[in-house]
Amino acid sequence: MSIRLDQLDFVHPNGLVALKRIQLQVRAGEQVALIGPSGAGKTTLLSVIGARLVPTRGQVTVLDQAVDMQDEHSLRLLRPRIGSIYQSPPLPARQRVVTAVLAGRLGVWPVWKSLASLLYPMDINGASKVLSQVQLSDKLFDRCDQLSGGQLQRVGMARVLYQQADLALADEPVSALDPGLALAMLQVLQQDASARDATLITSLHAVDLALGCFPRIVGLRDGEIAFDLPAQEVTQAMLDDLFANEATQAKDGDMSAAQHTLIQPPA
Amino acid sequence: MAMIDSRRDPLAVSRLSLSLLIVLLAWPVLKAAEFNPGALFDAANLKVIGRFLAAFLPPQTGADFLSELLQATLQTLAIATAGMSLALLVAVPLAYRVSRVCRAHPGLQLITRGLLTVLRGIPELVWALLFVRLMGLGPAAGVLALGLTYGGMLAKVYAEILESVDQTPARASQAAGASRPVAMLYGLLPLAAKELVSYTVYRWECALRASVVMGFVGAGGLGQLMDQAMKMLNGGEACSVLIVFLCLVVLADSLSGWLRQALDAPSQRQPSAFGLRSTWFGLLLTLSIFSSFALLSIDFSDLLSLQAGQSMAWFVSGFFPADMSADVLLKTVYGVWQTLAVSVLGTALAAVAGLLLAVSRPRTLVNAVLNVCRSVPELVWATLTVLAVGLGPFAGALALALHTTGVLGRLFAQAIDNATRAPTLALRHVGASRSLAFVYATLPQIAPQLLAYTLYRWEMNIRMAAILGFVGAGGLGQLLYVALSLMDYPQACTLIIAMLLLSMLVDQASAWLRRLMA
Repeated sequence: MSIRLDQLDFVHPNGLVALKRIQLQVRAGEQVALIGPSGAGKTTLLSVIGARLVPTRGQVTVLDQAVDMQDEHSLRLLRPRIGSIYQSPPLPARQRVVTAVLAGRLGVWPVWKSLASLLYPMDINGASKVLSQVQLSDKLFDRCDQLSGGQLQRVGMARVLYQQADLALADEPVSALDPGLALAMLQVLQQDASARDATLITSLHAVDLALGCFPRIVGLRDGEIAFDLPAQEVTQAMLDDLFANEATQAKDGDMSAAQHTLIQPPA
Repeated sequence: MAMIDSRRDPLAVSRLSLSLLIVLLAWPVLKAAEFNPGALFDAANLKVIGRFLAAFLPPQTGADFLSELLQATLQTLAIATAGMSLALLVAVPLAYRVSRVCRAHPGLQLITRGLLTVLRGIPELVWALLFVRLMGLGPAAGVLALGLTYGGMLAKVYAEILESVDQTPARASQAAGASRPVAMLYGLLPLAAKELVSYTVYRWECALRASVVMGFVGAGGLGQLMDQAMKMLNGGEACSVLIVFLCLVVLADSLSGWLRQALDAPSQRQPSAFGLRSTWFGLLLTLSIFSSFALLSIDFSDLLSLQAGQSMAWFVSGFFPADMSADVLLKTVYGVWQTLAVSVLGTALAAVAGLLLAVSRPRTLVNAVLNVCRSVPELVWATLTVLAVGLGPFAGALALALHTTGVLGRLFAQAIDNATRAPTLALRHVGASRSLAFVYATLPQIAPQLLAYTLYRWEMNIRMAAILGFVGAGGLGQLLYVALSLMDYPQACTLIIAMLLLSMLVDQASAWLRRLMA
């Protein structure tokens, strides 16, 4: 069992309840899509699985290891095996793409290599290979602040591909890409994961992409798991129910359910 | 993908050549600055500085000394205040004359501009030294030196502030027939007042530090007391003076902070522009200026007598013509080079130390260290480093480094706090250590800022390196001090011209660099 979440609660410091009684198990090598309306807790759930947030209650087991945020040593060993893709990749503006990608292995590289790589990139070929997978090989030596939002998202993806993590957690990884490219990039992530028998969990706004690409769908609403089913068993009624609250909010000029199939560039 | 293997980093060549250039330049710089960290651990030096520092505790608290200390403290405050009021007298007409605002035909004002350059291009310490030669030991020399240098500085900045505010109201009143002074009073001053006052308060704070420093060349106050204590290696007295000085700096800092905050407070609705608070403040200010002059008992009528004029003219004429013999010129050029080397080494050491301190914990301890570092002026540090590593430029570089570390460390820490945390956290979450995450994710964000701060301090350090030699820390200052002591005034004149040229060059270079980076 790659991931096991047991009776998990998460409450934000401001009192907002983000996750309630989450019960989730994912086998090694499985590929799961997380869907749900905005504010359902998808990002929080991914952060807890990625050992980035401490749950308020409950036990987290990731890659067959119980996560203990106090234990710096085991955390240092666990974290290089978890790769995170962020909706808006946190990359320093003035850094070059090659350095940003190579930073994916800082957790495993010896210190001398990491420092030398700042002067001369230590693995140009490796960076070049993953960048060509995300169709950015011409941007290898460009600076991050010269890229568009969609290109930056793919650099973030390339970093995780380079990291060769056993568990990849992707939070809206294709939100800034056009539909054709979005599909292609999801397939790149999936092929990389299955080639290495790695686990992949992706949150997606685009429901059709989730249903079309992923064998297992987890629906999240108000911090609770609404359903956890094989893709072919998810019905339109379930989806309508999942996004129901948002549809009512749409009347007040908020976000509509229909928008979830549209592509939203990150802020 | 056959192309993959043929890829080379396009920056490699430029990075390599930059590193080579730095290495090639570093060698002569280290040589000229007589870089010798071993001197810090030399047994004889350790004994001297160790014994001196050991004598710091307990501080001297004898009743006689304390009354002397109180006198000196009052004198320092009085020198700063009197010097500033003199500077204002110099600055206001000069700023009015040199400023381009409200002029139909903005001329170059070459003579006034040249006068300003000379006034602020020659460091106040050199002015002080000259006035001490002319008028003898005592606070009068300090007041005059401050008046001239700060007058020049204030005039330049006042003119710039006036030029930077919106000109339309002033132009409108001129179009309606107002004369230039009236148009400036009604159209410009209200817009520029806050900035003008704020800069003046800041300069008063600097004047306080400067008046202490000038004491080292005999211009009275705490500096002179400190100098005596250092010369007699009396650690206890030096410690007491230092403590009082640090308190004074902290007080001045908070007073000027409070004043600048008070400027932001909205004015009350009342017919007069000046309320109760400003009346009190004005009274207090006038009182402190008068009591400053009274305390220092400077009689400027002496200066204006025919006899004084004659002796002054005789003194000044002794400097001309400047000694331009090949021997002196060569010495001067080497002095300039050594001054530059000292400033580079001091700034580089400070940048490294400042960055290390800025990322160190616990924060409170680091802040305390940084505060002490930057509260003690470079020249005071130099008197200590001269004891620690012996006379020479390396002592100067260390003194610059100590003071600048305090300044840069604080600025760097602020820059780090303002950097975005997300990139750093993301790297921590792939298992990178704290320091690696810092160099990979925080440093790239703040690097341009760090560079700008360092260059800015380097500019100030070049000027400072030129005068640290007065306490034996090498460079142009040491040559000038020796020449003045030997009464070789023509040679001193050459050296002062060199200082002036260096300061003008730095001005131009930094203006050019600022345009380049903007």
